[in-house]
Amino acid sequence: MSALRALTTPHTPVLRDMRYSMTKNKYRLRYDQRFGLLLISPWIIGLLLFKLLPILASLGISFTNFQLLTPEQTRFTGFENYIRLLHDEAVGYVLFETVAVGISTIPLQLVASILLASMLGNPRLKFGNTMRTLFFLPSIVPGVAVFFMWIGFVDPSTGWLNKIILHPLGLTGFNDLYSGAAVAFLFGISSLWSIGPGMLIMLGALQGLPPEIQEAARVDGAGPLVRFFYITLPLISPAIFFAIVINLIAVFGGVILLDRGNVFSGSFSPYDGYVSYILFDKMDLGYAASLAWFFFIIVMVVVVALFSSARRWVYYPDKDA
Amino acid sequence: MTSPSRRKWLEPHNYLSLRLWEAIGAGLFNLFIFFMLFAYLFPLLYMVATAFMEGPQLGDRNAPAYPSRQVRYEYQGKERLVYNVPMPGGETRQLALVIPKQTSSQFIDPQHPDEGLIQWDGSWRKLKGVYEFHPTLDNFKNLFEALPIPQMVRNTFVMTIISEIGVLLSSIVVAYGFSRFPLPGGNLFFYALIATILIPEKVTLIPTYFFFARVLNWDGSWLPILVPFFFGNAVYIFLLRQNFKSIPKDMDEAAMLDGAGPLRILFQVILPQSWPTVITVSLLHFFYMWNETRQAALYLSVSRDLSPISFGVQSFQSLAPIQNQLQAGALILMIVPVIVLIISQRYFMRDMVVTGMEK
Repeated sequence: MSALRALTTPHTPVLRDMRYSMTKNKYRLRYDQRFGLLLISPWIIGLLLFKLLPILASLGISFTNFQLLTPEQTRFTGFENYIRLLHDEAVGYVLFETVAVGISTIPLQLVASILLASMLGNPRLKFGNTMRTLFFLPSIVPGVAVFFMWIGFVDPSTGWLNKIILHPLGLTGFNDLYSGAAVAFLFGISSLWSIGPGMLIMLGALQGLPPEIQEAARVDGAGPLVRFFYITLPLISPAIFFAIVINLIAVFGGVILLDRGNVFSGSFSPYDGYVSYILFDKMDLGYAASLAWFFFIIVMVVVVALFSSARRWVYYPDKDA
Repeated sequence: MTSPSRRKWLEPHNYLSLRLWEAIGAGLFNLFIFFMLFAYLFPLLYMVATAFMEGPQLGDRNAPAYPSRQVRYEYQGKERLVYNVPMPGGETRQLALVIPKQTSSQFIDPQHPDEGLIQWDGSWRKLKGVYEFHPTLDNFKNLFEALPIPQMVRNTFVMTIISEIGVLLSSIVVAYGFSRFPLPGGNLFFYALIATILIPEKVTLIPTYFFFARVLNWDGSWLPILVPFFFGNAVYIFLLRQNFKSIPKDMDEAAMLDGAGPLRILFQVILPQSWPTVITVSLLHFFYMWNETRQAALYLSVSRDLSPISFGVQSFQSLAPIQNQLQAGALILMIVPVIVLIISQRYFMRDMVVTGMEK
């Protein structure tokens, strides 16, 4: 007898409960199940309208040669777009770049947020709340402002990076904003500038750790490094998993928890940028849809792999919590 | 050789020395964090300083980093620039340039103008100027002339309020359904909720755009941006559900026995206990709306009157690609979210921590 069932049958719980348990048809939903469905129905309708139907529609579009400027010439072309995609050198290139961005920024953000969180959680820190807020502050600055700021900051002629940091140190500095090193630097910097949510997640996880375990290990003679790698890290693995998911979504070109993505290309994902290019500059909607679907499949494979790997390395203290 | 007693302060078992070492360590640690913070926020300092600079300072290599201009001195009805001039005697004097010439120039001393013109040999172009602190509001004036800033701020506020009401109401109700009711199919719907967070935006973009812009003819209005929020947001639903689940059910049951219906329990029992999370979610949404440019670029490029501030300032880049003007735009754009964060930090920072802990 669940409290939940009683909850939804306010006045005469016992009577209502008997009435519904006597229903013979097993496909008939119980009253509380129907009420739950009613409550989540706005989301279900949104899921159908803005997610499932568009995903299927875009699968349909991906099998056509739909062009924005000449919609009347649209016809079914079968797998033509997908074959074109496999022969497109640019696809391989942006896919490689996306993977490169992912395997460089995700660990960078992860390590930076854990280090920052362990320092900001230290009880010796003065003005802890103010410090945490100030370290969090860049994460809420709108992406456009961040973009203007970094572009100005690294500007070869007027920016401060050359003038105040690099030249006084005797370094040559940036001459070309669009060189490989400059772009890599900007990617790294802008990913470090949005670690706020990740840092807070780590902070929460670190503060939730029971101190007894650390004490016991210390008594047994474990040093700080051993304690960090063998006790702290496994215990905060759920937070690490959560942070990886958040950062991964940014690499896929999504926005979650204040993550602005990469402010220089609109997202951290070069692949996403290429789809935008095909979509808005070439207006080749059929091909863009096939590119998006191809990426969707890759993303889902990565996500399923990540979630099924979680069983091996993420620590769940209480399964049914 | 130092005697053992002299080195007593080094010994770790000495209580006072331990406290001293602790204090030194804590001091160094705080200093380190402070320098890290300074380095982390250093570009913001650039933004603020540049936003108050006059145009000529940007191209001036010798100018200091803060908003400034070269000191002027009025002599014979004209403004003369003041330079640091190394004199033959070894001292450096601050003199105003009167007659510039290639190899030797005439200066006047602003402190003692009655001394008359001073002859100096050398190229005046190699001299370094004397600068004074001189912030200007011209960049902001230009910005307000080029863009309808008050109108765009109002647009953003109206959009934020409408979508805030929609997204909070729907997300709270849906999260209540997820946290307190058995749904058919067990956790299936919850897994679907998580999965929707992970779907890349682009795969839904083309049909959605076509549906809104061509079928419903909503192009050039706020509807395509605002309406989806009335169906809840998966991230907010997830955060609220986690919080609702952490509230013990005893109170619900007590209220139920007193005759309260499910909706009444939600609004009178659960929500009063979870308002920090509700505030956190509404702040997340506020920051999101203030940041929003992608949807605006899709649907609002045809009607500039409805443009939100973020999108408007973004378009400023093509209007005035000069650094000090851009930094003024960036400063105007970020000032509201920053103020909101500082005001709300007591709740926001704490509850973000708690929310993260519960994954």
